[in-house]
Amino acid sequence: MRIDKHPVLEEFEKGEVVEFTFDGKNMFGYEGEPIVAALQASGVKVHRHTTKTGEPRGVFCAIGRCTDCVMVVNGKPNVRTCVTPLEKGMQIETQYGIGTKE
Amino acid sequence: MMKRYDLIVIGAGPAGLSAAIQAAKNGVKVAVFDENKSPGGQLFKQIHKFFGSKEHKAKVRGFRIGQELLKEAEQTGVMVHLNAIVMGLYNNKEIMVNENDQTNHYKADSIIIATGARENMIPFEGWTLPGVMGAGAAQTMMNLHGVKPGSKVLMVGSGNVGLVVSYQLLQAGVEVVAIIDAAPRVGGYGVHASKVTRTGVPLYLSHTIVKAEGTETVSGAVIAQVNSSFQKIEGTEKHLDVDTICIAVGLSPMSKLLKMAGCKMEEAAGDIPGVDENNQTSLEGVFIAGDVAKIEEASSAMITGRISGISAGRYLGYIDDEVAGNDISKLKNSLAQLHKGMFSPENKGRIDIEETDEGYKTSESLLKKGYIDDNEILSFPGVPKKKVVGIHPVIECVQNIPCNPCQDACKNGCIKVGEIITKLPAVDPDMNCIGCGLCVALCPGQAIFLVDDDYSDDYATVTLPYEFLPYPKAGTKGIALSREGKRVCEAEVLYCRTNTAMDHTALLTIKVPKEMSMKARFFTAKEAL
Ligand SMILES: Cc1cc2nc3c(=O)[nH]c(=O)nc-3n(C[C@H](O)[C@H](O)[C@H](O)COP(=O)(O)OP(=O)(O)OC[C@H]3O[C@@H](n4cnc5c(N)ncnc54)[C@H](O)[C@@H]3O)c2cc1C
Ligand code: FES
Repeated sequence: MRIDKHPVLEEFEKGEVVEFTFDGKNMFGYEGEPIVAALQASGVKVHRHTTKTGEPRGVFCAIGRCTDCVMVVNGKPNVRTCVTPLEKGMQIETQYGIGTKE
Repeated sequence: MMKRYDLIVIGAGPAGLSAAIQAAKNGVKVAVFDENKSPGGQLFKQIHKFFGSKEHKAKVRGFRIGQELLKEAEQTGVMVHLNAIVMGLYNNKEIMVNENDQTNHYKADSIIIATGARENMIPFEGWTLPGVMGAGAAQTMMNLHGVKPGSKVLMVGSGNVGLVVSYQLLQAGVEVVAIIDAAPRVGGYGVHASKVTRTGVPLYLSHTIVKAEGTETVSGAVIAQVNSSFQKIEGTEKHLDVDTICIAVGLSPMSKLLKMAGCKMEEAAGDIPGVDENNQTSLEGVFIAGDVAKIEEASSAMITGRISGISAGRYLGYIDDEVAGNDISKLKNSLAQLHKGMFSPENKGRIDIEETDEGYKTSESLLKKGYIDDNEILSFPGVPKKKVVGIHPVIECVQNIPCNPCQDACKNGCIKVGEIITKLPAVDPDMNCIGCGLCVALCPGQAIFLVDDDYSDDYATVTLPYEFLPYPKAGTKGIALSREGKRVCEAEVLYCRTNTAMDHTALLTIKVPKEMSMKARFFTAKEAL
């Protein structure tokens, strides 16, 4: 969920509204914001499942250090979505192990 | 060809930027490297007003200090490399940097490391579930990206980070279900605790997190009481309905690069680099500043950054010894002011402080419950003991922390802290308060209230600092909450004032029954209940 109005921060600088897909579903976000912001705003919290046990992982550090938030972006796996800006038409997929679901 | 600079600074947080600016002002050719896409480190997430005195930029919000630093960096010609992760530091003062998936090398004659800190984690059952995150992550999501990290949060840790982030969650419109801490005492400043407690957030001390519930994402949390050796007491488990768990259990210096270069640590296996009095490490010409040197606050990071900037300038021959020595000693005085009082480095972790510096008995309930108890409040110098006619400030600032904006805020001289900024503010009993409320708005701890017991025969007014939206309109009926966050009486909003000088801290004036003027400290509108 987005913060509509903040008592201290007057506005958050955001780019244009753009469309992207998450696991094939259409969603909207602001261009240039980290992918996680757009996903979180749409209620997506699970970013990947681990290789061995398939456990879910989501945002943990939000500054690019823990790699818990990596996803498959435009076909490329292991993209840290907390530090990667959203672009128009991006295809974002949940990562299973080191790739997408078979 | 390898690019060369006089000085390379690693990390563009408050420490690194201050270091770079200070050196550049003296003619040093400086480049700063930071892994993020924008500079500022933690500063842009800090939306509250800073403590300290004017020279420490007290009462200015963190992100505004960040904006000032960036402007200064630009004006002094500091070169900033962004999206640049420094992967290696070699002892010939060469760095290896990953920029856009390319590896570049740079070399300098002096290096300042200001890489800051990372958040500590505690493992518990379910801690890897989506919805469990660092408090810093929550702060980044809401204050930088404008997105709520969840809707119902459990905060683990009652240090300043846990308390401040909890308050910021409330400001973002997120419910904070509880704050817990394994220690039997609140870790952070009492004023930070008080401003969340009075909104009704429960604080569970001597409690730990047992597990995060849920299969795909967090759907709840289990907490339990711990004994004095921090062992869980069986049978005390309690379920909390939350979808997010934030961890704020301390920070550790990010000193990996220093270790890599062979710098001596204070303790052989530790994270804290050893330094001399000018912030130079065991490697000649390699200096450190900010949280990587010692976990403190942004205000001290800026000072240690400037000290290192001067030290590097001197090392490089741009600043002569005497000038550098003088400047450094001035900065050290400024730092020493922040290093006094109850939370000073030498008092860290002490639990036996029974009196303030002035000899007042410390507030036990502030430490054990997160608010000042009714029967303690009158003993402090900011709270008038006798009846004052008309409007007057009541200052509920009872711990020796380095902060004095209240003193300058009052143009009528009603409030006195004195030279030593950790002294408790005292209110002059024969004051001439005009009710302007600037002290209320400018107190970074939000610990000042205006009380008028003579509003009418039956009613008194209380003016409190208010940083939540929407601002209640005049005439709004609601409930006043006590310091403890309990509903104590009906209240009606008389007015809600703001102006530029107050910088988004509104003054909310409520009307309460006369006998409640020393109890009512927060307001909730009826429709919000
Ligand atoms: C969650 C949290 C909340 C806090 N809240 C407050 C508060 O409310 N008030 C307050 O006064 N203080 C607060 N602090 C403390 C304050 O933020 C720090 O003391 C201050 O920011 C330290 O400044 P610094 O410049 O040393 O580090 P930082 O501000 O952390 O800056 C270090 C920079 O270096 C970068 N970096 C690190 N390693 C590398 C590398 N290898 N290559 C490139 N770049 C690198 C980092 O990404 C970062 O941008 C908080 C800290 C945290 C973590
Ligand atoms: S959340 Fe840690 S790398 Fe993205």
